[in-house]
Amino acid sequence: MTSTIVWVHGDCLAPDGPALRAYPDAPAVFVWDDALLQRRRLSLKRIVFIYECLLELPVTIVRGNVAAEVTAFAAAHGARRVATSDSVSPGFAAIRRRLAAALTVEVLAAAPFVPPDVPLDLRRFSRYWQRAGPLALQPTPPDAP
Amino acid sequence: MSTPMRRSFADRDDLVAYLREQFPAAAARDAAVSPIRGGQRAARERLARLNPVRYAATRNALDGAVTGLSPYLRHGVIGLADVRDAALAAVRRAADAGKLVNELGWRDYWQRVYRQLGRGIWRDREPLKTGWPASAYAVALPDDVAQGTTGLACMDAFSQQLRDTGYLHNHARLWLAAYLVHWRRVRWQAGARWFLEHLLDGDPASNNLSWQWVASSFSSKPYWFDRENLERLSGGRFCRSCARANECPFAGDRARLAQRLFPQLPPEVPR
Ligand SMILES: Cc1cc2nc3c(=O)[nH]c(=O)nc-3n(C[C@H](O)[C@H](O)[C@H](O)COP(=O)(O)OP(=O)(O)OC[C@H]3O[C@@H](n4cnc5c(N)ncnc54)[C@H](O)[C@@H]3O)c2cc1C
Repeated sequence: MTSTIVWVHGDCLAPDGPALRAYPDAPAVFVWDDALLQRRRLSLKRIVFIYECLLELPVTIVRGNVAAEVTAFAAAHGARRVATSDSVSPGFAAIRRRLAAALTVEVLAAAPFVPPDVPLDLRRFSRYWQRAGPLALQPTPPDAP
Repeated sequence: MSTPMRRSFADRDDLVAYLREQFPAAAARDAAVSPIRGGQRAARERLARLNPVRYAATRNALDGAVTGLSPYLRHGVIGLADVRDAALAAVRRAADAGKLVNELGWRDYWQRVYRQLGRGIWRDREPLKTGWPASAYAVALPDDVAQGTTGLACMDAFSQQLRDTGYLHNHARLWLAAYLVHWRRVRWQAGARWFLEHLLDGDPASNNLSWQWVASSFSSKPYWFDRENLERLSGGRFCRSCARANECPFAGDRARLAQRLFPQLPPEVPR
């Protein structure tokens, strides 16, 4: 019995991504979202590129409805928790909400480009960069996630 | 749970044959496969070749020392912090990595804006500053642009490269987008959708917001260019063989070009 599985998605395909790193022994799953592939008309070359990334990850690859497949994968492994890496996309937020109906969801962030919690003005790049630029030019501290 | 997909392949051809069969609709639309390989090993090879000083000096030219890291960043195969750290490690003074880190900042910025806007990223963020009403723009991508048969050597080459490789230099993206939106007067959304089908780095944040920046719904003025600009940064490679070189829509005096593209705007102050 495993208590946690990892959900790998297309915004974080690193072998050392935060979720895979936090749970190196957990079963991991990636789901091709068939509806999204159709809606976006993703070309074959994009699919090949993503698949090549997936082949470097210790992950089971399936296709279908993402939330349903991840939930079924958790059930198959007797897991009640799912860990994943953060993403800004609204599609990610929607799936995360659906997963939370059946599972405890833990979302982990990758090493930040600019330290988190710095208030940034997003109206125009120039305003954002005034504040973010000097911080972004600092190397990642050694104790970062 | 549905049956797991295959994970073991003899070689790339074997993988591609399997994916053609698994995703027949995508393969029927366009069977091209990019020479750019997925995976962190490929990304790390590029990271190891990073040259921030040459990057800063040459990045605007089509054959400049750009990193080619965008598909890997897009899919989180490596992170912006990894690239920043590699850039800092490759220079003596942090300032020498400044230009590259600044460009990385654009990706971070667009990601943050996307978190705020969500699906609103498909709508004009602000009114256009072109003098044209939104209704003046065509909804659909013109066939000759999609197929690369406009007769303009530059635009046809960009269209072809987009479909064959899923990658374009930043300036090729800017020029193709400006051509579509300002010369052909097509809504930016049509171009954005087309790019997302093909770009290996296709990302609604960087893509749609860059299109909005070109169109002027997320900037204070439209982005456009002229032949001199394109010819210089492309080393003249397109104009030399262009069938329409003598009736180039990008040629001529900048003020007159601006007047033709945006007749409702006050005349441009000569630079
Ligand atoms: C119309 C249009 C559409 C675009 N669509 C996308 C897209 O879907 N996905 C995407 O990642 N980029 C997009 N860009 C931004 C930019 O063109 C690419 O990121 C860049 O050309 C990728 O090549 P590179 O990795 O060699 O870039 P480099 O110049 O080597 O830059 C290094 C990294 O910095 C980031 N970066 C650099 N410039 C930009 C920029 N202007 N905006 C955002 N990030 C930047 C990228 O992650 C890039 O990989 C678009 C630009 C335009 C004008």
